[in-house]
Amino acid sequence: MTDNNIILRTENLHKSFGKLEVLKGISTAIHKGEVVSIIGPSGGGKSTFLRCLNLLEEPTDGKVYFKEQDITDRKGSIAKFRQSIGMVFQNFNVFPNMTVLDNVILAPTLEKKVPKAQAREEAMALLTRVGLADKADEYPRKLSGGQKQRLAIVRAMAMHPEVMLFDEPTSALDPEMVKEVLSVIEDLTRSGMTVLIVTHEMGFAREVSDRVLFICDGVIKEEGGPDQIFTCPRDPATIKFLSMVL
Amino acid sequence: MDKIIGLLEKYFPMYLEGLWGTLWLSAVTVVLGTVLGMFVALLRMGKVKVFKWIADAYIEVLRGTPTLLQLYFFWIGLPKLLPFLSLSDTACILVAMTVNASAYISEIIRAGIGAVDRGQWEAARSIGLSETHVMTHVILPQAVKNILPALCNEFISTIKGTSLASVFFVGELMTAYKTVASATFLQMQSLLIAGVIYFTITFTLSKLLKLLERRLTVSD
Ligand SMILES: Nc1ncnc2c1ncn2[C@@H]1O[C@H](COP(=O)(O)OP(=O)(O)O)[C@@H](O)[C@H]1O
Ligand SMILES: [Mg+2]
Repeated sequence: MTDNNIILRTENLHKSFGKLEVLKGISTAIHKGEVVSIIGPSGGGKSTFLRCLNLLEEPTDGKVYFKEQDITDRKGSIAKFRQSIGMVFQNFNVFPNMTVLDNVILAPTLEKKVPKAQAREEAMALLTRVGLADKADEYPRKLSGGQKQRLAIVRAMAMHPEVMLFDEPTSALDPEMVKEVLSVIEDLTRSGMTVLIVTHEMGFAREVSDRVLFICDGVIKEEGGPDQIFTCPRDPATIKFLSMVL
Repeated sequence: MDKIIGLLEKYFPMYLEGLWGTLWLSAVTVVLGTVLGMFVALLRMGKVKVFKWIADAYIEVLRGTPTLLQLYFFWIGLPKLLPFLSLSDTACILVAMTVNASAYISEIIRAGIGAVDRGQWEAARSIGLSETHVMTHVILPQAVKNILPALCNEFISTIKGTSLASVFFVGELMTAYKTVASATFLQMQSLLIAGVIYFTITFTLSKLLKLLERRLTVSD
């Protein structure tokens, strides 16, 4: 089962918190350039699944492969893998103790030894792309939620990741800011970035995804193309979930 | 009152010297205690079970026994342990005070680090920072805001705590009082002077601390 086009793959992934089994065996593969949306009821294990992919949570059982390298075997440096796996959080988690620009160049200069001038130049280009160039020297406390989230996306992109994980990137935003963030993400998907996104924005998921995973009770209950999932879901749980959110 | 003025005229330099000793002893204690406390805090938060256990025991013992007892312990024990160094009383007391302070300061540091949002750790790790860089560039700079005011508090209580060192006549403010009192037999008056000096220093420092705290919250 080797395929050069697979960026991330999980094999029978399990995660328990104490006695609570949150992931009950998830096997899937994300291909290069693919945009995959994860939908499902709250508490179903979507975030936990995403966080297992870059080992922010350590799986209780099963494997995670990044480009067919087992990253759960504790052999390679986890930090190294994480440099190639960008992640964007619901709560932005930008670093408040440094400027917008420093947020972006921190990891490239520290971990990839990119010269400061070059890192700055690249960062400015990215910030310009998301409309934050004029905020480069501000501290994050001066930014709106939408701006913070765009910064968080740029911070991850600055490491040139091979895949981006988004965990409900717009759930903490005021409604008027959802669009600006979604359009940045859409931009990314168009540029060929491999994206895995947990979202409650069903319209967005349907529009940008190549594939949709419905995760519920710690398993992938159903998966398929966006049109199939949203127009003729097969699993009763999917039908019930979609009837509640659509 | 006359007697106090008379005392001051004659012995003020001695009190000043004592105050200097107190401030010096406290400052060095807090600075060294912070370095040691940082180390203990990191052990405690680290992954190695044995180190964690040792750090826990260290803190519990130091917090569960009287400071004065610890001062005696080092005063008696250190010269026996390291006879070739021929340590002075002051050096022994300084080590004891530092070790004592490190237990409290390690808790301050741990709490300060613990108060940093979990999301900051996750974000810092997710962009591929090494664990060291996560700590030095993201967590500690934010934790300092929580730690600094508490450390200043620790400095203030250390100033009072160093008075215990007078038991060993190491030349701080209470030692000055003892010297003056035994030379003049004006027990109460000479004590009052020391008390006023202690209070002036700690009161001023805690007001400054309030200012610092306000500064730190404004910049949030
Ligand atoms: N660190 C944790 N400790 C204990 N339980 C957790 C932890 N993280 C998540 N859970 C639990 O795991 C379940 C799934 O959570 P999560 O993955 O966040 O679901 P979703 O993102 O689909 O809403 C929930 O019941 C949640 O309470
Ligand atoms: Mg979630």
